[in-house]
Amino acid sequence: MGYKCTRCKQMVEIDYEYTGIRCPYCGHRILVKERPTTIKRIKAE
Amino acid sequence: MEVDILELSDRSAKFVLSNVRTAFANSIRRAMISDVPTLAIEYANIYDNTSVIYDEQLALRLSLIPLITDIESYVPQARCPTCGGEGCPVCEVSLSLSAEGPGMVFSRDMISSDPKIQPADGNIPIVDLKKGQKLVLEAIAHMGYGKDSVKWQAGIACGYKNMPIVSIENCDACGKCASECPKGIIHIEESGATISEEDLIKCSICRLCERMCEISAIKVSFNESAFVFTMESDGSYSARDLVLNAAKVIKGRAEELVGILDRL
Repeated sequence: MGYKCTRCKQMVEIDYEYTGIRCPYCGHRILVKERPTTIKRIKAE
Repeated sequence: MEVDILELSDRSAKFVLSNVRTAFANSIRRAMISDVPTLAIEYANIYDNTSVIYDEQLALRLSLIPLITDIESYVPQARCPTCGGEGCPVCEVSLSLSAEGPGMVFSRDMISSDPKIQPADGNIPIVDLKKGQKLVLEAIAHMGYGKDSVKWQAGIACGYKNMPIVSIENCDACGKCASECPKGIIHIEESGATISEEDLIKCSICRLCERMCEISAIKVSFNESAFVFTMESDGSYSARDLVLNAAKVIKGRAEELVGILDRL
């Protein structure tokens, strides 16, 4: 699962056992999940 | 059957339906609410959405936007003779939306594949986009019935009441009935209390005036075969077309029943 650091904008792979939720490049702790590029079909209900 | 139109505008109507039974009046009301097919967004193919609203909520908002419906051009998808429910230009219409912030996205920003099918109101807000936020989607609208989902309900605020009858005899013009009437339709003159023909329709048959009258000069009742109808359309049809289509639905069902009975 790819996440993006909100400070340095780098794509981050999280290693839960070693680093926890933290950017390995800048140490920032707020990471966001990127929206997938596929088309989502949503039923309106 | 007689119909006297009291008010008629594009979105609403008020009329008196006379010489019919309560069952018939109620069937017209119910048909307007649940049996007249309309177009509404059923699916949204979301290409990009970086707004603050998540996809499911966005799809729900889109589905509740009334679309101007052409009942002659489209059929409910389950009954589509061309595709049998798979989806084709006879039973569905596509509306695309592409917007980038900053700015509010309105229903008028949707571009329809059929110029006749447009949002009934262009000023319905969908989402407020901030700088850099994007929204790209394609919405697919189907014909459906109000009994299946509220998004397909064309008739709103449809209701009726019996035509009020107020008789005033030997009034002493005390004025108690006029002060008690919540609608303010009773006027006191020298000869006694009076109600004009126009105001009589406003009477809610609460009978407060009857209870207040100590000499029982005022009697309130109602006509069992005349109804004051009030209805509004969500914009998918004009008020006139909605009543007409509701009547056609009832006629179609009656003909279907006759056909079944003929085959017995």
